[in-house]
Amino acid sequence: MYVDPGINQNKGNVRWILPYCTPDLPRVVGALVLFIANNAMALSIPIISGLIVDRVIVGGRTGELPGFCALMIAMTIIRVGARYGYQMWMERFGQNSVYRLVSDEYEKLHELDFTYFNHTRTGDIMSRMTSDTDAIRHFLSWVDYQIADCVVMFVGALTVMFAIDWRLALALACVTPFIFILTRGLSSHAHPLFFAIRNSLAELNSMVEENIEGNRVVKAFAREPYETRKFDERNDDYMERNMALAYNSRRYMPWLDGLGFCLQLITLGFGGYLVIAGDMTLGNLVSFNSFLWMIDGPVRMCGWLINDWQRFNASCIKIRRLLTETPRIVERPDAARSVVEQSGGSAVARTAAEGRTTSTPAAPDLRIRGDVRFDHVSFAFPDDPDTPILDDIDFHVPAGSKLGILGETGAGKSTLVSLISRFYDPTAGRVLIDGVDARDWPLATLRSQVCIVAQDTFLFSDTIEGNISFGAGGAPGDETGGRTGSGDGVDDEFIRRMARIAGADGFIRALPDGYGTIVGERGVGLSGGQKQRLSLARALADDPSILIMDDTTSAVDMETEAEIQRHLREMDGDKTIVTIAHRISSVKDSDLILVLERGRIVERGTHAELVAAHGRYWSIYSKQLGAQSGAAQGF
Amino acid sequence: MAQRNTFREDEELEESINLHDIARVGVYLKPYLPAVARILAVVVSMSCITVSVPYLTKIMIDDAIPNKDLGRLGLLAGVLACLIVVYELALRYRTVAITRVGQLMLKDMRRDLFTHIQTLPFSYFDSRPHGKILIRVVNYVNTLSDTLSSGLISVFADVFTFLVTLVVMFAIDWRLALWSLVLFPALIAWVRVLQYFQRRAYQKLSNKQSNLNAFIHESIAGVKTTQTFAREKAQFMTFQQQQDDVRTAWMAAKHIEFLMWPGVQTISVMTIAFIYFVGITGFGGVDVTTGMLIAFVGYANNFWNPVINIGNFYNQLVTCSAYLERIFETLDVRPEIEDRPGARDLPEIRGRVDFNDVVFRYEDGGRNILNLVDFHVEPGRTIALVGPTGAGKTTIVSLLSRFYDVTEGSVEIDGHDVRDVTLASLRRQMGVMLQDTFIFSGNVRENIRYGRLDATDEEIEAAARAVHAHEFIMELPDGYDTVVEERGSTLSAGQRQLIAFARVLLADPRILILDEATSNIDTRTEEALQAGLAHLLKGRTSFVIAHRLSTIENADEILYIDHGRIVEHGSHAELLRAKGSYWRLYESQYAAIRA
Repeated sequence: MYVDPGINQNKGNVRWILPYCTPDLPRVVGALVLFIANNAMALSIPIISGLIVDRVIVGGRTGELPGFCALMIAMTIIRVGARYGYQMWMERFGQNSVYRLVSDEYEKLHELDFTYFNHTRTGDIMSRMTSDTDAIRHFLSWVDYQIADCVVMFVGALTVMFAIDWRLALALACVTPFIFILTRGLSSHAHPLFFAIRNSLAELNSMVEENIEGNRVVKAFAREPYETRKFDERNDDYMERNMALAYNSRRYMPWLDGLGFCLQLITLGFGGYLVIAGDMTLGNLVSFNSFLWMIDGPVRMCGWLINDWQRFNASCIKIRRLLTETPRIVERPDAARSVVEQSGGSAVARTAAEGRTTSTPAAPDLRIRGDVRFDHVSFAFPDDPDTPILDDIDFHVPAGSKLGILGETGAGKSTLVSLISRFYDPTAGRVLIDGVDARDWPLATLRSQVCIVAQDTFLFSDTIEGNISFGAGGAPGDETGGRTGSGDGVDDEFIRRMARIAGADGFIRALPDGYGTIVGERGVGLSGGQKQRLSLARALADDPSILIMDDTTSAVDMETEAEIQRHLREMDGDKTIVTIAHRISSVKDSDLILVLERGRIVERGTHAELVAAHGRYWSIYSKQLGAQSGAAQGF
Repeated sequence: MAQRNTFREDEELEESINLHDIARVGVYLKPYLPAVARILAVVVSMSCITVSVPYLTKIMIDDAIPNKDLGRLGLLAGVLACLIVVYELALRYRTVAITRVGQLMLKDMRRDLFTHIQTLPFSYFDSRPHGKILIRVVNYVNTLSDTLSSGLISVFADVFTFLVTLVVMFAIDWRLALWSLVLFPALIAWVRVLQYFQRRAYQKLSNKQSNLNAFIHESIAGVKTTQTFAREKAQFMTFQQQQDDVRTAWMAAKHIEFLMWPGVQTISVMTIAFIYFVGITGFGGVDVTTGMLIAFVGYANNFWNPVINIGNFYNQLVTCSAYLERIFETLDVRPEIEDRPGARDLPEIRGRVDFNDVVFRYEDGGRNILNLVDFHVEPGRTIALVGPTGAGKTTIVSLLSRFYDVTEGSVEIDGHDVRDVTLASLRRQMGVMLQDTFIFSGNVRENIRYGRLDATDEEIEAAARAVHAHEFIMELPDGYDTVVEERGSTLSAGQRQLIAFARVLLADPRILILDEATSNIDTRTEEALQAGLAHLLKGRTSFVIAHRLSTIENADEILYIDHGRIVEHGSHAELLRAKGSYWRLYESQYAAIRA
């Protein structure tokens, strides 16, 4: 994080954005110097026009003309150079500031927990990171100096005009109060409209996105007309919102624009009168005329700038909401030390540097052995605290042993394992990893060594090799690894071995590009079983201490599954393996089997014990077995 | 299969304007031509007013002031006041009218894209990141908004203003007018050279932004995976790299953009200085009054704006051309599967299914996925497909609902080749339950209703009861009205399958296809489910793909598929007696549980 999202929480949007800009403020100072140079030049050039008229044309001193012309050109060159300079600096300033802001958003996003993602649409988060930040960038690198420019030019030009002729200047100044009134009206009305447009666009985005993601279902039900109707509603709404903004502009823009024109009218009418009356020279009137665009421009501009300002505010509010979202899962500040203390050093059996001081984050060196204990754990989702998902779960799995979990759909199996890698915190009780509360472990350590192969397989748009090595970032000799180089630094042979263990090597090699095959977003190009095996290989490549397979082989045929299980048995000596399954065959070799029902453990024991107990496990077992043996009696 | 289209790769972009694409935009403009004509008329009159203001000043300086004619001055002021009122009324009209035409066009375009995408095959969605498709439908179209409506119209106004200004200047004094055009070639050269570079810079930027957006989108979609592997740092590094690329491209583009104005402004001031010089010294036989000189300077001040604006518009058009090309490219993707000309509606299905020597491969010259698959099913029978993963089971059922077309042979339902009937009538009567269940955001009831849009609440509940989803639904906080989030992430995989199951049943399909539909459902629920399904399956031809043999042994016929061929077929008992592949599979499962 570049900036602690907690600071300036109650301040205005400009105060809030400031810390992101701080490192680039020197650029702004530089830009300010150039800005002043530019405006000084801009304000002086029309004076030369006046001098040409008064001294050369009226006064007849033709000899001075080349000098004036040269001066005018020279000043222009200085002016445009200065302007180019400050524009570039401000652009760089805006880019760098937004760079920090988006980076923070991205980091924040990865800190948020499952609860947040369960309730927030991808499209919304997407807008936070693209269009909203763009509104802020636009404000920082363009709108701010445009506002300054408008104010300086307006005030400057008016001042010079007062110096030339106070009567005419005063007449022009009379227009200003009206500008403020109109601007305020425009501003306050545009504000909610921008919010509405943004929301409408987000709706439209989400709808289209869902349609694209769910294209198989849409087609299977031939629901294209229905989807189009839904789309039309959103599409119409989005247009309506845009029109509402146009109508608001219609209410104010002509008046603002008309005020600009009035300045010319006053100059022509009143200025002309003053010259005729002999109270003003023609040259001064010409100068006045050249200054007109300097006060006319800002007046016309301010309506648009107000719109931009509102857009900036709307975006700020949304981004601030994202950044101040509190994850429920937060790492203890002294997590690494607390683990060492609590486990009396046993948890850090593989700590590289024994004497390392606790001030350095020693997190990556902590190695989990794999002992898991649930100490009377209960859990309910924060948004539905009255429905217990887990109720008084209590068991112990020593390091290196195998746990099997069986239970009905929705019994809480997936939630139970999510607690081990601390995607949720228990509502009551404790989850102990190597005897240390999961809440006391550094999150990175915990999650990199507890690996859940989830029901929903997500593959990145990358090569198969890159996907498998995604988890291998922590593998020996590879620090940067991950996906940046499609597995550079991760041994090819290692990846193939992991794929073989997961029973994926065969089908991967049958693909046109083998391990170099790119699997699309969400890996749709592969069958369910293939995706499951890839995600298992990915988890294995991570070399976790605790491997959790959440119904990982449900779409894999039984022969392959048996093969995978044999590989797993051969491979590991010290991994704790937790298997969630519906098939008895997947869990029966476990050292401990839990049968879950409505969030409670209703039976526990080994396969033999449970079968002997003639309870629920036995009945599932006999159904799965009976289904086969029963039919087998037919021959 | 998946093409190389990841977030790291740039998409190709156009170098110049594709006139063909621009012409196609005309199609969208056509319905609004009368409105556009009205707007143009208004805009032209606004230009005339803008041009006449310096001329009023000229009259004042040359006529009213030297003659000390206050009446004439008052008249001039009165004329200007009237012009202002007309101008602002015109502006009032223009503000809304332009937005409306532009928005209507965009709306039409978005709708066309969306409806078109509905017709595209799975392979289209499978072969590219979804973020990139999304951007085409929404973002690219929005980018066109300014160029197509206000841009087009203001450039027209600019051209008009430019011409009128020229005419007025020549009318005042043709020699001075010629002299003030001396630097015009330099201006054109400057604008053209810069705009060439600007265009390239913006195209590069657009590529990088597109990549970044795709990456962000994927990061959000895959955030749980990233967290599971604690790979936040590596992802963040990639993100920073992508951001860096965008920033570099951005600054390069801005650098060129910001160079434009200094050149133009310098040339403009030099021209003004030159006009003063020529006008005052009478150089080259020029003889003008002070008023004319001032008016000329006034015109020269604004003379260049149209030129820059036209240049900018040209650039916008090139950028748009790039976007348009992608949009039209999407519109031009031919759906692989389309209704044949003269395709008829499939009459109500009785349920006979024939696969006649079907051969299938994804692309010409590729590997055969299915090789001479030939089987025939009587109405109402249940067929089970078993075999190793990747053997071609899913492909067989996909051919039935015509998600792909056979390469050789034919697939017939009740004697109608599936290629001869309309897709809608075919798929409406088929119930497909896929491995990937997709839950829409909305409540549970709406998700089930997706199967049949006019179903009553009672029918929905009945369907849910039949698949034993009713129990868990009632336990949700708001029962059937419980809002499920995007992709049903608050439900377990098994629960999602049950909802999808109810959805299929509600559709009351004549042919039912269950593709691994029960893999995430526990044994007890599955058993109950099957009991409920038994009578629902009655009278429907159904295809079941499953790995769990308990699910399939009651099928009327079992096809054992391997390497795209039917290796064995027959009833459960027959196949066990044959002691072939099916028997070995059965034995291994039995052994796995028993051992």
